[in-house]
Amino acid sequence: MDRKQCCVKLSVQPSRGLMDEKFIVLVQNALPGSQLTIRALHRCEDGHSWEAFGHYTADTIGTINVSDDPSIGGTYSGVEQMGLLWSFRPIPGSKPGLRMRKKNIQTPMEVTISVYQGHQTEGFADLVPLSGVVVERWYMAPGVRRIPVTEGGLTAALFLPSGPGPFPGLLDLWGGGGQLVEYRAALLASHGFASMAIDYLTAKITMETGKMVDNQYFETAYRVLQQHPQVCGSKIAMIGLSFGTSITLKMAVYSEVIKLSAAVCISGSHVQPVDGSVEEILRFFQKNGDKTRFSEKNEVIWRDLLLPIPTDPSLKVNVGRLQCPLLLVVGEDDQNWPAQESALDIKEMMARAGNSHLLTVLSYPNAGHLIEPPYTTHARSSTFKTIEIEEKVMCLWGGQMVEHSRAQEDAWKKILVFLRENLYGGRNPTSFSHL
Amino acid sequence: MFRAHMSVTRIWQLIEKRRMSCISVRGKLPGLQHAVGEVRRKSSFRQSPLLTAAPGRALIDEQISIKGHFLSQNYPVTVCAQMHSEEGDLWEAFAHYTTNASKSINLTSDHSVGGSYLGCEPMGLFWALEPALGSREVLRLRKRNVETPYIVNISLLEGHTSPSEGQSTELAAVTVERWYMAPGVRRIEIRQNKIVGTLFLPPGERPGPFSAMLDLWGMGGGLSEYRSALFASRGFASLSVAYMGHKDLPGPPDIMSVGDLYFKSAFQLLQDHCQVDADRVGVIGLSFGVCLTLRIATRIGVKPSCLICINGPVGSPLLDEDGKTKTIESDQKHWELDDRGHVSFRHVSLPDNLPPENKQKVKNITCPLMYIVGEDDQCAASTENADVIEEALRSAGKSQLFTRLSYPGAGHLIEPPYAPCARASLWRAKPEKLFTLWGGHPAPHAAAQEDSWKRILEFMETHLRR
Repeated sequence: MDRKQCCVKLSVQPSRGLMDEKFIVLVQNALPGSQLTIRALHRCEDGHSWEAFGHYTADTIGTINVSDDPSIGGTYSGVEQMGLLWSFRPIPGSKPGLRMRKKNIQTPMEVTISVYQGHQTEGFADLVPLSGVVVERWYMAPGVRRIPVTEGGLTAALFLPSGPGPFPGLLDLWGGGGQLVEYRAALLASHGFASMAIDYLTAKITMETGKMVDNQYFETAYRVLQQHPQVCGSKIAMIGLSFGTSITLKMAVYSEVIKLSAAVCISGSHVQPVDGSVEEILRFFQKNGDKTRFSEKNEVIWRDLLLPIPTDPSLKVNVGRLQCPLLLVVGEDDQNWPAQESALDIKEMMARAGNSHLLTVLSYPNAGHLIEPPYTTHARSSTFKTIEIEEKVMCLWGGQMVEHSRAQEDAWKKILVFLRENLYGGRNPTSFSHL
Repeated sequence: MFRAHMSVTRIWQLIEKRRMSCISVRGKLPGLQHAVGEVRRKSSFRQSPLLTAAPGRALIDEQISIKGHFLSQNYPVTVCAQMHSEEGDLWEAFAHYTTNASKSINLTSDHSVGGSYLGCEPMGLFWALEPALGSREVLRLRKRNVETPYIVNISLLEGHTSPSEGQSTELAAVTVERWYMAPGVRRIEIRQNKIVGTLFLPPGERPGPFSAMLDLWGMGGGLSEYRSALFASRGFASLSVAYMGHKDLPGPPDIMSVGDLYFKSAFQLLQDHCQVDADRVGVIGLSFGVCLTLRIATRIGVKPSCLICINGPVGSPLLDEDGKTKTIESDQKHWELDDRGHVSFRHVSLPDNLPPENKQKVKNITCPLMYIVGEDDQCAASTENADVIEEALRSAGKSQLFTRLSYPGAGHLIEPPYAPCARASLWRAKPEKLFTLWGGHPAPHAAAQEDSWKRILEFMETHLRR
């Protein structure tokens, strides 16, 4: 091996970052003009390995800075500071339909980043890297506490930021796959929000009694959050993705108990039988099951189940009655829900009702359904099991990797600003905080 | 304590605060629920500011950017850092800031107007840490277990106050972790070939051979791993060795029973390691470690690629022919006591007090040497020793090998950045307690540590990687 090349130095700063934090990947002491591959490797909790890599050329002083220099090949191209994370794909030979999701969010995601000689595309396991570092990516900032919540029959987890509080609160809902999905709530707590992730489809009480939860379940969650000594009871928001949007809009408009300061709805719709329980809403979707389409790869497309957007007001949440700011996040290539059509209809309804000043829509071309925290690997499709169907299906979510990843990054930034503005910032300045 | 003139609003606030702390807020008793809810609604109108620190998990030599958001305009606040050392002592630092029109504070650009440090000091909360009031005094902060981080709690307090006053309202807080070891760095205990040490290897599965450093400390003894851990975090293999005061070493703890052969073994162990490039091994020494470094470079038959010497003597009358010592307490006639009974060893290492035959043969050095001087060093005569070394190299026609960094106001213990300056600390407990003076003043010492660390890494890059 060339002696000079083994002194190649690779550094990633910070080496321990939050999942939404950017890092700087720097290669130094390479031979000027030499061709190098920078590769990221991650083995996730279920044992599958993922890799991403970029092809670079060292400049005249033997340096490569991933934030400034373009990748000219690999799993991503161009100047992409975080490309090594968002372009992860299963290593060759992996089974299809995988999706990278972390269950245990109290430990970090470990990524090994290495530099190789030449522009390599495969067989990395047999190559000797010139240099390597390990990077940790965390969902929880130091000091964030995870508190399981079981009061009132809830299956939930509350994440509290460090400090005395009181903190604005957040209810965090995911979609039809059920389970208690904690990572977004943990990340939001790392940004100063007391966030409660809620399992409302496969909650313990449902698994034990066979009965689905009703509206009271969400109102209980709201109350528990509101009454927590470290939560600012008058500043609570709700964030929902997919079916979680249906619940969020329903609660925001119709609940007598839940008074939201803000709502974030990602990849969802307002179409549902008004006054329907969770069970009734699910049955409504199932009724339209024959509208399911299939892609040429036999992936399930469910976006038509709610189309066309009904004109019957009893089948749509009356968003004209909404009293809090609403942020809608839409992937225009969403193949799972008609988020774009719903957003348009919501806009119209709110314009007619005169409350459209409350609405912000973020619409991303070529982004799919799963708009997740930034640098999350894009899954255009994956195996999926809803609570109604026993077997797993290959579900088409949609989205093209590059635009989807950009959408995730942009949406998250804007979601944080939206939440901060409405939950932390400026609407109730008081003289109490002056000496 | 309470200030003389208070507004009605402020008094009302304090009453509310006391009411809140009296009521149990578990919310289980239905009778209290209403009262609790009411109090909480009142407090819910308060704007909660937000305190952020990035990165939240940093390496020891990384800067952390601390910001406070959602405050009011022209609002005085105190930022306070607290942490517990491994020995259980509470360390604290605080600084006074005032927001401007932006209603926020940013420690990387704003100026402290009071507290543990003044002016714009992004890392002041760390290097200005001191034992809190009520703890043991005259302490030195050192980490023994490098596999866990320092956990520092940073809080934002209302007004310009000090943590010891204890009455101020905590507005927000954030926790940061500071690590000596980057993820993936491997720590390997070495107890072979009679060597007592710890080896740190940079992360990576099978990379090309690493450049390495042999890491030596002073006569305080024991095994200090943290600088080595940090070198490995920066891509260099590093071996810290103990040479006295360690249970696994032969002989009594207060003399050096190992000598030249020991250090030769240690150096060769490093060279022979399959992941170390045998032609790229350097040596770094602090304090007495400087003398050992010079001896290794000139006397024992190994050829280091570079040398880094921090605040240490060019020789010692304690060392015998084999490089061992007979007694550690050097001539007490050179000891100087200050008015608190703290002893300064500075004069012991004055070149004039050193017999010529005890000076290491610096003229035989063949590799680059960097000497770092803390000009307020009260433990070693660093400036004078640097002069001797520089002159010896100059006479041998080797000036180009010598680099000197000299820091006004810095003391003896020039360590990795952002560690507090220990001006003095406990030297020994028996036969009676003796404190030794290291020297240094917090701000210039901090600047010296930050700058010298950068230069040390650059020096290692230049001479060990190219």
